[in-house]
Amino acid sequence: MPKVKINDIEVEVPAGTNMIEAAAVAGVDIPHYCYHPNLSVAGNCRMCLVDIVGGRAPEIACNMQARDGLAIRTDTPAVKKMRQSVMEFMLVNHPLDCPICDQSGECRLQDYYMEHGDYDSRGVEEKVSKKKRQDIGDKIVLDAERCVECSRCVRFGDEVTGTGDLRLMNRGDHTEIGMFPGERLQHHYQGNLADICPVGALTNRDFRFQRRVWYLKQTASICSGCATGCNIQVCHQEGEVFRYLPRRNDAVNKSWMCDEGREQVAGISGLKRILRSRVDGKTVDTEAALIALAARLKSATHVGVVLGSQATNEANWALLQTVRKNLKSARIFVTAGNDPGSFEYADKLLVDTDKNPNSAGVDLLAAFDGQVESWEAFGSAVADLDLLLVLEDDVVGRLAGRRTAAAIAYLGVSRNATSEAGSIVVPVCHPVEMDGSYVNRQGRVQRIRRAVNAAGDALPAWLIVDRLGAKLGVAPGTGMVAAAFNSMARAVPQMRGLEFKTLSEAGQQLIVETAPVAPTEATV
Amino acid sequence: MAMPAARKMTSLESIYLVELFKGLALTMGHVVKNLFDQNRFVTIEYPDVRKTMAERYRGAHRLLLRPDGKVKCVACMCCPTICPAKCITIIAGEAPDDPAEKFPVEFDIDMLRCIFCGFCVEACPKDAIRMDTRIYEVNAYTRQALIHNKTYMVNLMDGIKPPAEEFYRLNPESAPAGFVSSPSASGAP
Repeated sequence: MPKVKINDIEVEVPAGTNMIEAAAVAGVDIPHYCYHPNLSVAGNCRMCLVDIVGGRAPEIACNMQARDGLAIRTDTPAVKKMRQSVMEFMLVNHPLDCPICDQSGECRLQDYYMEHGDYDSRGVEEKVSKKKRQDIGDKIVLDAERCVECSRCVRFGDEVTGTGDLRLMNRGDHTEIGMFPGERLQHHYQGNLADICPVGALTNRDFRFQRRVWYLKQTASICSGCATGCNIQVCHQEGEVFRYLPRRNDAVNKSWMCDEGREQVAGISGLKRILRSRVDGKTVDTEAALIALAARLKSATHVGVVLGSQATNEANWALLQTVRKNLKSARIFVTAGNDPGSFEYADKLLVDTDKNPNSAGVDLLAAFDGQVESWEAFGSAVADLDLLLVLEDDVVGRLAGRRTAAAIAYLGVSRNATSEAGSIVVPVCHPVEMDGSYVNRQGRVQRIRRAVNAAGDALPAWLIVDRLGAKLGVAPGTGMVAAAFNSMARAVPQMRGLEFKTLSEAGQQLIVETAPVAPTEATV
Repeated sequence: MAMPAARKMTSLESIYLVELFKGLALTMGHVVKNLFDQNRFVTIEYPDVRKTMAERYRGAHRLLLRPDGKVKCVACMCCPTICPAKCITIIAGEAPDDPAEKFPVEFDIDMLRCIFCGFCVEACPKDAIRMDTRIYEVNAYTRQALIHNKTYMVNLMDGIKPPAEEFYRLNPESAPAGFVSSPSASGAP
């Protein structure tokens, strides 16, 4: 691997690494607008100009590949002057929109002006005005004046979505970004345009004027919209979640996420949330509901339990353990397919047909147990069951009118056909309200983290099941999320050696690819 | 924290009676002076008489309007960010036909929490909020009434809203620069 020097700091980087990334390894920040790690190099912003030691002229770091003996300097007076000049050039036609611009607080122009610009304005001429507040898509508002022509959005359309919709038009200081006449953005990844735009030219319509970004706290988590398991930052303030941002993980979602994933923010505090426990139509506290549920589980002859591919590994593990330890005759099922009513779109980029974030995790636990029955077996058995315990899965909706069990107990986040049919309903935390882990479609274990407090009486599912286990006789010992995960990791061979505490931000690829769904007819 | 050492009293001070009579003499001096020259009273007969507040006095907040009659504020959130008492609540909204795009749907200042530091005025990039009203009587019968809202702060200088503004109306010479006393307002209670 080539060794390069950045400001006399020597680092060894893989061949082909550009000098912005190499400098980041050395702890040196090279300012840039047009360079993006997941897009091709355009080299048109000129902000990353650096001096080459022994070189003839400055060069852009983003297009400079590491080679042995290469030494650059970012602290020479010439580099400082270049950065200042580039800033001045970019800001010469930039409107003073900061008070109304949603990008304020995470704007590269603001940050780099304070760091590298810092000059007195020499502007005497009128700024070139362009069209503001353009409606170019359902999710994006374009302000052509604020654009610095970095062409990140153009490359995103060309390289990631392949739609090629945004273009740079006209010349000189009249250059502006825009769509072809009469066209609007059609793809499902529009939100990313607002994320990659280093300034406020492309902003998110859903987040528009909602909150200033400097108020928002960020919690690293996983999107629960589909089986892809995109890494996200949950942006929240005072217990309210305002947006999801993609978190870079080149093994899963690079720097992107889909619009449907972002839209899930609306469901967190939405009207459909279950807030209180309910037994036979009466609102009770969760403790009373669990006592009633334990009593009914004990007295019922034919008990069925459905593992939830919407729920975390910990919750499913807790449920599996509780049922196996306390209810010897109970039959456990997995579900397959989508929730009816969830968004139906899927593509090859990120959006998966399976809208459950943890199908692979449930399959893994089902394979470990060996006795778990399939969805087909469930379909034929459900009508004979006295009591069906469902974990976060719209079973009734999936059955689509077919006969279901005599009684249903539902542990879930939102109201749906199953919760309406349920005689006992216990509220469960939304994924942003609890800790846990999912296994995505690649067989990668990834952590979700609690960002905000639970709505209403909702509790994490692993805790509810643990309390239920204590009332049934033997608690599964999953009262703490780390304990639940660690006991699962000790038992399940594919997870061996993992520990909840040390699970990295980027997740952990499991030793074996996800196991196939448990055998079906053999166990029925 | 180290406490400063107590000053040692002089022998005259430690007798106590000498200091006592010195104090009484000062008081009696004022009594005699006030008996003969009442123009030099230190106290004033508030609320019938009021002091003229300094130009830079930080009074209750008001919101300024643009020439077209809309509030200058664009809900940039600089004032709630800088506010050390966290007493400003702004809810932003989009103005569809306004080139300013953004405006405050709600703009509340909880005067019970405000510490009158003036940071909000300093932070405002639009000169939308000022504390130059020289209104120091921020009072009401309920706590709710002490949360000043947008309409209240816009109309503050019209002389209608605060009952204590009568004095400014009757004594325009000590009223602040932006104070408008309209004929209808002067008759209001």
